[in-house]
Amino acid sequence: MNRSRNFTLKKALVVVLLGVLAVLTLLVVAPDGKAIPAFSRKYGTSCTTCHSNYPELNDFGEAFKKNGFKFPKDDETFVKQDPVMLGSKAQKEAFPEAVYPGQIPGTIPISFRYSGFFNWNAHQPTAAVQPNGPYPFVARTDLFAPNTFTIISAGSFGDNLSFWIDDDISTGGSGAAGGLGDGYLKYNDLGRFFHLPTNALNVRFGQFELDLPFTQARTIYLSDFDIYDQVSVAANGGTTNNPFSLGAPQRAIEFGGYPNNGNFAWSVAIVNGANDSPALRGQKDVYARVSYKFNLERDPESRHAIQAAGPTGPRDHTSIRVGGFYYYGTNVQNNGSTIPVPFPGGLSVKEPFYRVGGDLRFKYRKLELLGLGMVGHDSNHAFDTEALTFTGIHPVTFTGGFVAGNYWFYPWLIGTMRYDFVNSPSDFQNGISEHRTRNRVSPGFQILVRANVKIAGEYQYHWAQPVTPLDPATTFFRPHTFVTGIDYSF
Amino acid sequence: MKSTNLTTKAIFLSVTVLLAAGSSFAGDIKGKVSVQGLKSAANIAVYVDTIPDKKFDAPSQHVVVDQKKMEFIPRVVVVLQGTTVDFTNSDPVGHNVYWPSISGNKKLTHNLGTWPKGEKKSFQFNDPGVASLLCNVHPEMSGYIIVATTPYFAITDKDGNYEIKNVPAGKYTLKAWSEDGKPVTQAVEVSASGATADLTVKK
Repeated sequence: MNRSRNFTLKKALVVVLLGVLAVLTLLVVAPDGKAIPAFSRKYGTSCTTCHSNYPELNDFGEAFKKNGFKFPKDDETFVKQDPVMLGSKAQKEAFPEAVYPGQIPGTIPISFRYSGFFNWNAHQPTAAVQPNGPYPFVARTDLFAPNTFTIISAGSFGDNLSFWIDDDISTGGSGAAGGLGDGYLKYNDLGRFFHLPTNALNVRFGQFELDLPFTQARTIYLSDFDIYDQVSVAANGGTTNNPFSLGAPQRAIEFGGYPNNGNFAWSVAIVNGANDSPALRGQKDVYARVSYKFNLERDPESRHAIQAAGPTGPRDHTSIRVGGFYYYGTNVQNNGSTIPVPFPGGLSVKEPFYRVGGDLRFKYRKLELLGLGMVGHDSNHAFDTEALTFTGIHPVTFTGGFVAGNYWFYPWLIGTMRYDFVNSPSDFQNGISEHRTRNRVSPGFQILVRANVKIAGEYQYHWAQPVTPLDPATTFFRPHTFVTGIDYSF
Repeated sequence: MKSTNLTTKAIFLSVTVLLAAGSSFAGDIKGKVSVQGLKSAANIAVYVDTIPDKKFDAPSQHVVVDQKKMEFIPRVVVVLQGTTVDFTNSDPVGHNVYWPSISGNKKLTHNLGTWPKGEKKSFQFNDPGVASLLCNVHPEMSGYIIVATTPYFAITDKDGNYEIKNVPAGKYTLKAWSEDGKPVTQAVEVSASGATADLTVKK
């Protein structure tokens, strides 16, 4: 056992050293990265204007995004590619006798993003990969998996309309998911018609990641937040089988705002729900979030500027952002239709559920700390197969969250560390984990070889999973993973 | 005694006339810079190199370099050693100006910090050489300050033409600096009618 462990450690060390060598080579010999995404092209500016570590946004990037993908002030003076006017500005006065004038980007705002990673996985016990073993075979190493190619298009249609579309178009190949991620249209400052402060009320509709405290779709980390992916499945004969996960994109209509582009933000979304499959129900879910950023800059001028005035250049504000979120929905099972139904007799059961949590983000110079905690609660029932009745029983609940820290050693070298935890009694009862709480530690690194080219790595120290079904002789193993690879956009 | 005084006066008068004549022997150095392998012959600095045993007082008037629409304006500027440059910000975003070195000497690196629209920061350039101006948050911004040891310099126009005015007669070394090309050195002799010096800058 010790010899095997030493051998695997040596292999891991070799992989790391090879990776470091590759990075150093790329830093030195990689050609000048002239390739730039759509916004860089539009404004003729580097990715680092908006991104501290793409796709993570700095303060200016957040202001840019909030302003409908336009520079927060005097946008027109910065645009290097003139838009195509779909009517002169004077047409506004002619409305409604004329179509209200708008504009489209001067060039098609398309960007591409590729990511391909090398995986090193811990050795699976023999019992796990036997023909009747509980887990599928996982190769020790896998080059460029997942291997993803995404097309992104975003921009503005004039003063108040903006759009975003991203689609993973790599529908084949290893690890490819395929399909639309976000696709939405947003109207900024709808509230001005009601004499509300600037950007107090905006609306967007389509499919998009909800206004989560920390984005998963555009995270810098190589692995999802475990708590976001947590679903509720009942154990011990319960009916709960809810595919909803907070991190998945949702079809929704969202109202939200940040009055006067200040530190308070709110959003309420009407969500279609049941994201994994068509919603076999009429009712909709709802999601709400509020947050407040405490700007801790002492200098008043710096505090009110989009970015703080640092001694070596503009930087993000020192700040603490706190927030809370709440999702309420109903999972309907057995509602007819053509899918196989788990409960005979044409019955259906509605199982309301909620997710509620709070978050905190602290920024200070080169350090960023994140934290989130969440509670999940699903109604649960027992189904009497003879009486064909549902009886309410103990709900399915879980708690969990994560804490993380990122540190910019250099503008191009970022260290990351994350601790995920999920406490799910039903997961334990279903034999998914050794304990009620799954913990995971994920140290990592990110290297910006160029502003649009990144080498990233992450070691995921996983919770123990049972190799054999839970009984006195159950053994466990930890499916640790080391992921490293490349990511570039243009 | 009387003849000695006359001689002295004649010598003095002659020297005075000669000095005055010497100072009026100043012309313009004109020419055209051609490029090989470069996109443009514009914004190339042409200047007279150090004149032995000759020092020039720095001008009292400051030179202005603005930051507007995420660009340094002017992009290339030549100043006499000791000149103070005012860096202004005409953009509605915070900018900063720094240079990592002056002609490769990293000890001469300097960062002026961050300032908003309407404000300026100044710096007196006392060390000759080339300072590459950068902005910490907008890495595409680029500018250059060439600190010369003589006040005889010019920047080429879009066609590569330049004109350095009022250069005293004499023999000098002319230098050309460009962003992407190799430095060029050429001897030039200026007469009362000036001089013509065409240069070729190669990548």
